[in-house]
Amino acid sequence: MAHGFTPSLVRALPGVTSGFEESLQTFACSYIRNLYSQRANGQFLTLAGLLFPGNTCDALQNLGDVWKVRFPDDRVFRLTYPVTRYSQDESTTKFLAEELRMLSKTLSTTFNRPFLTESYDRAIELVQDFRNCAQFLYSARVVNPKIISYSEVIRLVRNFLTAPTLSSVSELKAAAKSVQKTSNELGIFNTIEAVKNAILNGDYSRVNLPEGLETPRIVIAGGMVEPQAIAAIINGIPDFSDSAIVLDILSFGFKIVFTIPPSYSDDHFFAMAKSILTAPGEPTHEGLSYRMNAMKGLLKNLSIQGLIVCEQSFCDPDQFEAPSIEKAACELDVKTLRLPLDSELSDRGRIETRIQSFLETME
Amino acid sequence: MTEERASEEKPYRRLETQTLLQQIAFRHGLEAMQASENGELAWVTSGFPVEIPIAMNLGVVYPEQAGAIIGAQKIGPDVCGFAEDLGYSQDLCSYARASIGSTEKPEEVPMGSLPTPQILLACNNICGTVLRWYDAISEMTGAPVFLLDTPPIEKEQLPHNQEYVRRGVERLIEFIGSHFNRTLEEDRIHEVANLSSKATKLWIRALEACKNKPSPLNCADRFLTMAPVVSSRGTEHCVEFYESFVEEVEERVKNGVGAIRDEKVRLLWDNIPPWHTLRFFNMLASRGVGFPADTYTHAWTGNMVGIDTPSIIDEVVETYSKVYLNMGLDAKVDKMCQLINDYDLDGFVMFSVRSCKRYSLGQLVSKEIVTERTGVPGVIIEGDMVDSRVYNAAQIETRVDALLEMLM
Repeated sequence: MAHGFTPSLVRALPGVTSGFEESLQTFACSYIRNLYSQRANGQFLTLAGLLFPGNTCDALQNLGDVWKVRFPDDRVFRLTYPVTRYSQDESTTKFLAEELRMLSKTLSTTFNRPFLTESYDRAIELVQDFRNCAQFLYSARVVNPKIISYSEVIRLVRNFLTAPTLSSVSELKAAAKSVQKTSNELGIFNTIEAVKNAILNGDYSRVNLPEGLETPRIVIAGGMVEPQAIAAIINGIPDFSDSAIVLDILSFGFKIVFTIPPSYSDDHFFAMAKSILTAPGEPTHEGLSYRMNAMKGLLKNLSIQGLIVCEQSFCDPDQFEAPSIEKAACELDVKTLRLPLDSELSDRGRIETRIQSFLETME
Repeated sequence: MTEERASEEKPYRRLETQTLLQQIAFRHGLEAMQASENGELAWVTSGFPVEIPIAMNLGVVYPEQAGAIIGAQKIGPDVCGFAEDLGYSQDLCSYARASIGSTEKPEEVPMGSLPTPQILLACNNICGTVLRWYDAISEMTGAPVFLLDTPPIEKEQLPHNQEYVRRGVERLIEFIGSHFNRTLEEDRIHEVANLSSKATKLWIRALEACKNKPSPLNCADRFLTMAPVVSSRGTEHCVEFYESFVEEVEERVKNGVGAIRDEKVRLLWDNIPPWHTLRFFNMLASRGVGFPADTYTHAWTGNMVGIDTPSIIDEVVETYSKVYLNMGLDAKVDKMCQLINDYDLDGFVMFSVRSCKRYSLGQLVSKEIVTERTGVPGVIIEGDMVDSRVYNAAQIETRVDALLEMLM
């Protein structure tokens, strides 16, 4: 954004099932197969460039290489992340800061668009507004899931991730303002703030949820799954609505929302790196035990009864972490449903039936 | 493909050094058990800078090697099944599943389950899976994981990447030091690095001898004899093994003796082998098809200099960051082309390993580029290294036959 671009998260599209076969095997994860197929079929958005994450998962790492060969006219960039999270020193932040600095330099020279501090400051403000509002909405739903629908919250989040503009943030701000008003009327504003702070710092001692919470209360876990797709499935089940979803802990939802925004600093890249590294950990990062403890804290203190673990097919990080998530939930007597799926939700009927049966066991 | 013949007529020649190999494997197993009993055993990934734990007097074992043993015993589906019973998907790395399965039920896996670790040392220069695999083992055994993060590099390792990995190596030394209350002695690390370097140089010498026609080693020979350079580099007995090995290999070259009796076609093998079906190579040998080179065993040619170097840590940073699998598609293609040219090969077989994404995704593209650059044809076959449930012998035979029709 500091270079005058609009970053847009590329997503898997439902209904895109072929096109990848010339370059990727069937055991490539469904997310990368879908992205590749979109590009091969001409369904991809026109983009100035494509930024691949490096060192996150093997599939995306290799996809970046394949993309460069197959689509030589595309401008492909890479931002390599550190996997280390608990080094107790600044080496990871310094590494990522340098990666960001190099990316910035590449963007400047490739597009002749320099890094403008003024644009950067505006971007920081926008991201801060987005996170403050989205965190509030996520936390409000923990206290009262009907205060705003899950579908609506993630629609707003999705809009921002697709186009982080003043307009998408304004809509989010308006929603947060409305929920704040309702929460004041209901007398739950302070509880919402306590939940928000607890999620951010992992200390739930000040959280006192109201009595008589509506049930079932479930959490959706997993990785690169579209929160909106899961919400749509639950809303399609008779007698249930997405108010059953208290929270997701998905990469495209919770994890993006609960990252601490970058602060204003003389060293922009270091500040950005520091912010990125506050994101709740992914299975591609070091620290399984930290993540499981954080999840247990959340399940236990937010009165969660059920957990749906989404496992994307052939996704190493998802599939490796799922047994640990299930075990951690089991220790708290939280019922778990493990849900293998692909980005296209090609087995939608089966997924719906399994979720419905699971929700019925909660009643 | 024809069936294997009786022993005396076998189309391939057995290496004398294989007896020594068994002795080394036995010794290695005993040492590992002893180290575990003494509370100082580390499980390490194959691309880990093992010189450091060895120099700090830890015992080391390689779960990937144990996975290969499980595969070779043809018990992969059973042992992987134990992990699947715990909830691990069949899509996941079969080395990892075999390791998790044998940790869960060691009594069911007498050959292939490893002694209890005290620490788990992972380096992600070979893939990202190793961290998640070791995290799973850590949950099961309580042993802490140390990850040496070596972010992938393209072409050259940039200063910030070097600095980051360097700090990782320093933290590794601190981690082992604090966990076992010991320090890394300068003399000892130089000694271990020298031994490691000697073993690796001998290994490279044996590999390069395969440029000769006929090749003194076939694929299966190298897959078996790579074990010490993976698991015991940095030790005296490893160097001794490779001295004998190289002697036998060079004797074969001197006398024009090939690994297979009638070498007609020379192919390159790409990727990990199907440990459960190593006879694949022997069956092809009966048709005069040999594999003088492969990308897998050449991955262990990163050479620690070990002497006259100002900093062993810098040496470790460079050697272990520049592992072939950590350098992207271009490096893989370059390596394949280089091997095809240097070893005068007629074609190549790429084994697309369903459970190894880092090695396998990209093969469809690299196959085309390698053929374009070298002019030799190749074929992709699909299966798995340990889990024979996803190995379709008939389909593989048809595809390899199609390649050979072009060449013979």
